[in-house]
Amino acid sequence: MSARGILGWFVDRFGLKPILDYMHKKEVPQHHHTIWYYTGSSILLFLVLQIVTGILLALYYKPTLEGATASVERIMTELPLGWLVRSIHSWGATFMIATVMVHLLAIWFTKSYRKPREVTWMTGFLLLVFSMMFGFTGYLLPWDDLSLAATKVGTNIPRAIPVVGAWVTQFLRGGDDVTGDTLTRFFILHVCVFPLLIFAVLAVHIILVQKEGMSLPLKAEIEKKKLPWLPFWPNFVLRETMIWLVLLGVLLSISILFAPSLAPTADLMSPAPEGVKPEWYFLFLFQTLKIFPANMGPVTGEFVAVVLILLAVVAIFFLPFLDPKPQGRSGKIVTYAGILGVIYAVVMSIWSLL
Amino acid sequence: MKLKSSLVTRRNFLNGLFGGWAAALAATFISPLVKFAWPPYKEPDEVTLPLADYKDMKPGEVKMFPWGAKPGLLKKAADGSYIAFVGVCTHLDCNVVYRPEQKKFFCACHDGWYDEEGKNIAGPPPKPLRRLDTAIEGEDFFVRKPGAKA
Repeated sequence: MSARGILGWFVDRFGLKPILDYMHKKEVPQHHHTIWYYTGSSILLFLVLQIVTGILLALYYKPTLEGATASVERIMTELPLGWLVRSIHSWGATFMIATVMVHLLAIWFTKSYRKPREVTWMTGFLLLVFSMMFGFTGYLLPWDDLSLAATKVGTNIPRAIPVVGAWVTQFLRGGDDVTGDTLTRFFILHVCVFPLLIFAVLAVHIILVQKEGMSLPLKAEIEKKKLPWLPFWPNFVLRETMIWLVLLGVLLSISILFAPSLAPTADLMSPAPEGVKPEWYFLFLFQTLKIFPANMGPVTGEFVAVVLILLAVVAIFFLPFLDPKPQGRSGKIVTYAGILGVIYAVVMSIWSLL
Repeated sequence: MKLKSSLVTRRNFLNGLFGGWAAALAATFISPLVKFAWPPYKEPDEVTLPLADYKDMKPGEVKMFPWGAKPGLLKKAADGSYIAFVGVCTHLDCNVVYRPEQKKFFCACHDGWYDEEGKNIAGPPPKPLRRLDTAIEGEDFFVRKPGAKA
């Protein structure tokens, strides 16, 4: 049987014809916001890199109190290119979350979350939350002083939520305090639970994007303007590949030049080191918690801060429903809220570094 | 009043009955599994320390002891009595340190300060450091949660 014949057999048995037809016909509209379409596939590139480097690291990493730091040290010093694999995984996380944020902001400001893409937006926001959870759980794994302190703070935050908060903290820590069980738990969340979750939600997200097609700029949609279209295959994919190569080059260069260090192993009994900072994408939350006073009337400042943060999270998740008229008043409000939010996050992040 | 036709079809009724039964069955299997994921580790009610390690402390000196998986801080007061604190910040749980030159406890995570009595005096901590009871029996030094039975 010829190669074409074998291929045809698979297409037939799996019923892939409609999918292949769809990919052949898929087109991408060309306009001055087309560039933002590329952020989605860039995230996929980083996700694949995280999976590959993560599997490699997990071949040697040991999620125990006694073994964690030593196993990371071994990866960095003994294994061929181990330092680079760890560096790519560490920087890849930063690149991925940064790209997810750009992707989200692009959709926020072009208002592509509008009907009929509400669920695409909501699944996308969940993917951002999962990405940040990957970062949070991964940060602890080298088990040094800074990561221990950051984890103590991070896992204590849910405690400010009434009723369920204490349970969440206990679940995350595997007990009342951060112990070796917390490390094992974070490892399994990082390499098993969150991967399953992110794949499930990502599948829905991508299927919805295919179902609805690429969103058009608001103006073009209202004016029913005819836009030039670019075939997805091979024209758009070729452009995506070029962007992937550039991003890969930048990531590799930074990973080689600025490989992460490894601090001495964490001691549960030692005081928190000075200059405790979470990863950059948590800095604005960190600073928000810091500026609230100890007590505000009958409740603690932490409680107020956590409730405000939760309200913001819920509002962003349900954004498509808070903006019934994207081209009108509510759309303007959302745009200004987005600008204010970005300014707030940037100012808070810089302030926390001073 | 008698309705001409039922509001619930036989099929809907059976679907609900079977679905509810299946959900209840699943719950009986899932609940013990969820329990497994919830933590066994609890803070201790009491720890026993060798008195020899702590009896030579000078008044005003602060020494660390392990309170389960987190640090405890033992201070010898001017009158020779001992005061024990849980050595974690009441704000967000970071381990605090005693700064003898300032006679204050300090948390580096968010700049929290406590005076030498453990009272929160600056920064975000909402409450004083948690205190523990102490007792000396023979060669043993006991630190207990307030109200815990010996």
